[in-house]
Amino acid sequence: MSSASLILVIDDEPQILRAIRTILTEKEFRVTTASRGEEGLTLAAANEPDLVILDLGLPDMDGVEVCQRLREWTQCPIIILSVRDSERDKVSALDMGADDYLTKPFGIEELLARVRVALRHSVRMQGTQSKIVNAGPITIDLAFHIVKRGQEEVKLTGREYKLLAYLASNHGRVLTHQSILTHVWGPEDADHTEYLRVYMRQLRKKLEDDPERPQYILTEPGIGYRFIADE
Amino acid sequence: MNSENMQNSSFLSRLWQYWLSFLLIGFITVLFFALRDVLETTLIALLYLIPLGIITAYWGLGPGITSALVTFLTFNYFFIQPYYTLTVHRPADVVILMVFLIVAVVISQLVGRAQAGLAAATAREREATQLYELSTAFAGLPDDHAIVQILAKQVYAVADGEYVELNITGTRSFNFRLPESNPPSRSPELIISIEAARGLLGEIRLWRAAPVISSSERRLFQTFASQGALALERAWLAQAESRTKVLEESDRLKSALLSSVSHELRTPLSTIKAAASSLRGKEVGWDSPARMELVAAIDDEADHLNMLVGNLLDMSRIESGALQPKREWNILAEIVGNVLGRMRHLAQEHTLKIDVPEDLPLIPVDYVQMEQVFTNLISNSLKYAPVNTVVWIRARVEGESLHVQVSNQGPQVPSEHLERIFDKFYRITAADKVTGTGLGLSICKGIIEAHGGHIWAENLPDGLAFNFIIPLIWDGAKPHQLPIDTESE
Repeated sequence: MSSASLILVIDDEPQILRAIRTILTEKEFRVTTASRGEEGLTLAAANEPDLVILDLGLPDMDGVEVCQRLREWTQCPIIILSVRDSERDKVSALDMGADDYLTKPFGIEELLARVRVALRHSVRMQGTQSKIVNAGPITIDLAFHIVKRGQEEVKLTGREYKLLAYLASNHGRVLTHQSILTHVWGPEDADHTEYLRVYMRQLRKKLEDDPERPQYILTEPGIGYRFIADE
Repeated sequence: MNSENMQNSSFLSRLWQYWLSFLLIGFITVLFFALRDVLETTLIALLYLIPLGIITAYWGLGPGITSALVTFLTFNYFFIQPYYTLTVHRPADVVILMVFLIVAVVISQLVGRAQAGLAAATAREREATQLYELSTAFAGLPDDHAIVQILAKQVYAVADGEYVELNITGTRSFNFRLPESNPPSRSPELIISIEAARGLLGEIRLWRAAPVISSSERRLFQTFASQGALALERAWLAQAESRTKVLEESDRLKSALLSSVSHELRTPLSTIKAAASSLRGKEVGWDSPARMELVAAIDDEADHLNMLVGNLLDMSRIESGALQPKREWNILAEIVGNVLGRMRHLAQEHTLKIDVPEDLPLIPVDYVQMEQVFTNLISNSLKYAPVNTVVWIRARVEGESLHVQVSNQGPQVPSEHLERIFDKFYRITAADKVTGTGLGLSICKGIIEAHGGHIWAENLPDGLAFNFIIPLIWDGAKPHQLPIDTESE
């Protein structure tokens, strides 16, 4: 990886391209842009970017398909952009291998935060994973399976720990209902979002300051959950 | 019963009528024969007219005339001298005989005709009744399928049919069959076209066991068909009219929407334009606090615009029936918590209180849409309730439904407006006093109704409450039990 990460932005709206390019260049990323799916795929193959920002509504092909074709040969993180009310498309792109999503219109802080998380995660995948995740008063030791709140150890059931560990080791990233259910319960229970609702509630009660207004285990409406850890 | 049988039976009953007539005349003749010496010939001739009248009245013209001729012969044979021959000697007897024959035939004909007239009148009355029943059944039927069904049933019943098929042709073609099986392989006994002023609408095809269809029956079915045609045309006209009304209404709403939207969209746009252009110019210094203010205004107003556009999209989706809840078993507290988390910065001048029981069951709802409902109800409460008041969110299980109430200490709504505040663009206060598209509550209504529930508003002693009820049963089921997880780490 060179000193500045290369980001490929695929979007058909020139204004969005202009805004994202300006801001990311300002933040010292290298940026390349494409306004069509095929063009984006060609650029990705030629330049091997460190991250792809992909709009789901492209004129020439389905964004989900672009995502799928990228995943055939690269593991570089993909952040998808889409409009409100297209939860189904977002979920299928995420399940197809995209790493995160942003709903248009989005704030620039949000975009930068997603980019940072995605790049960090891809580095982590290549190197060794950190064994301890901190989030406010919560400490999760993934090596020794110990969860603490402040100094006190939190008692979790096996399933609760498995769920928390999956969230924490992907902190900052959105995880779809299906991916969590498949990972924690198994593929045969992938449709039972109610398990997730109930277990998340239990986890929040044990970990959050105010379980009704969670700060660490966040709900992504219609998509899944996201664990927020300290930077 | 097949057609041959039916013919046989009617032939047999006809034969019976003749037999009975002859029997009656034979009986009377025997009676008169016994009294031949007492009664005068002319009296006997007169008395013979009684059975003849009876026969014609009961069994019709055929047996009547035949009996008259038979009587003429027996009278001549038994009662006119010389007895037991058909010869007549006295000229007076010839006169009696001739008069008798004429009178007998005339009486038979008169009575027979009256009888036939009566039968025709009865038949006409029955037809009139059937037509009346049909037109009563058609009256006010707005549905063309129902009309065709009734028409087919009536033809089937009146014709004593074996099978009736009704084909409606043209742009809304469909057919109806009675009984619901494939039609007999042979061609139908009767085909009547259903014709209206605008042309051919379809046809009735009738199969029946007794193949003979009289002209009066044909006429009756023809009348049925034209009644049906009228009813169909009326139903289609009514449908066209209601479609026109819907279009007019949606047109009216669209213009209301346009005026409301252009007003609503222009307000944040003006703010953004003013702020952005002053930031671009040199009037505002780089470090001045006004700069941050302007940037914040742009950000807020962009969010506001986004919300307006979202509302418009939601509304058009509800209008077109495209709002399909993606139901899953959810926890109400999680939905409410998420909404409150996002609305925190808007609710700084009010207190939000939640009263949702711990043991509330899972609810089968679309998470995103339900968030929208709470967002709209709470933001409506925040907009109208005075600052430093409390907004309550309460939930209770009532039978197999969930009752949710969002209440505020804002101004009450006159009771005649309580229902109408869920209408699109309905406002109690003048539009320029309050911001918003006037769509929030009608979106709530659309979403709750798409979930099979209902929503209403009520005045409380110290404010206003929005209530909604949604079923806790989904596809006839409650959430299934979670697998037990007791092991701990």
